[in-house]
Amino acid sequence: MRLVIDERRCKGCNLCTLVCPYRIFSAGKQPNARGIVVPVLDRPERCANCRLQALYGRTLCGMCQMICPDQAISWVEEKPGEAQKVAIEF
Amino acid sequence: MTYSDWLRADRLPHIYCAGCGNGTVINCTLNAVDRMGWKKEETVFVSGIGCSSRAPGYIVTDSLHTTHGRALAFATGIKMANPDLHVVVFTGDGDLAAIGGNHFIHSCRRNIDLTVVCMNNQIYGMTGGQGSPTTPRGALSTTTPYGSQEPAFDLCELATAAGANFVSRWTSYHVKELTRSIHQGLGVPGFSFIEALVQCPTNYGRRNKFRQVMDQVEYFKTHGILVQKAHRLRDEGLPIPPDAILLGDMVMRDRPAMGVKR
Repeated sequence: MRLVIDERRCKGCNLCTLVCPYRIFSAGKQPNARGIVVPVLDRPERCANCRLQALYGRTLCGMCQMICPDQAISWVEEKPGEAQKVAIEF
Repeated sequence: MTYSDWLRADRLPHIYCAGCGNGTVINCTLNAVDRMGWKKEETVFVSGIGCSSRAPGYIVTDSLHTTHGRALAFATGIKMANPDLHVVVFTGDGDLAAIGGNHFIHSCRRNIDLTVVCMNNQIYGMTGGQGSPTTPRGALSTTTPYGSQEPAFDLCELATAAGANFVSRWTSYHVKELTRSIHQGLGVPGFSFIEALVQCPTNYGRRNKFRQVMDQVEYFKTHGILVQKAHRLRDEGLPIPPDAILLGDMVMRDRPAMGVKR
């Protein structure tokens, strides 16, 4: 699974930066075409839900999706054969 | 199925301001409704007038956008006409406590099988930031420019005194707990009242030293204490902080209810 922010819905309130236990979200710098500063993702492959949702068969954590007032955060399935980035933390 | 199946994707993004907590409460409510496993044809969302009351417009089920303060009266009619429907009412503090106050206490008294989710932003957000009955003492608004001098309504106490079966309060920061409480309230026969304190960055936060959206959410995080802890402090004779927000399930009881599904 891959964590994505829907730029058509995000209004740039940065509430996701408050709740993520991995601090994946951080406040963006560049406004997009709609003039909204969308948060940037720092190594989203660390997200517990991305790694373990298929294994557990349910949504884990999911705080960012729940608190997002604009329903902009979601997880999308990767295409078969798509290259995946793996993060190892020591 | 997930909660996003209940949203009308063609209507999004919604009109709420950036950082408005109403969207969070919609997520939590839809998650709880989804967890109940109800059919979309058998669920009705009712609302009155205000920011919070625009919520049913973004949901795929049948919905009713009614006159100001009368959401509970219309919801009572729906439930009495067809008790097999599941009725959820979205309402705001101005809608429920100010103009609809009598409908609220009488719905609690009759104990009709409704679930009411009140998005309490402590101000009239849509009409320009006038003080509402739940504006805390000392808070600034356009009609109280020197600070509100009146004590605020405690909606949970009001619902408890009037006789609701399930009463709970959470904030838009406590999303997991809010979802759990709404899920519990949906399952309870009788009147379930869930108050969700939400941030209003445009009209409340801007005037009350919450310049960023996150400041007010941080305030909810740091000032919320569980009702059980407040009771423990009271029993031990310790002071409860005056600005504390009591959170948690206040009441869970089994009074005779009206309009329960046969």
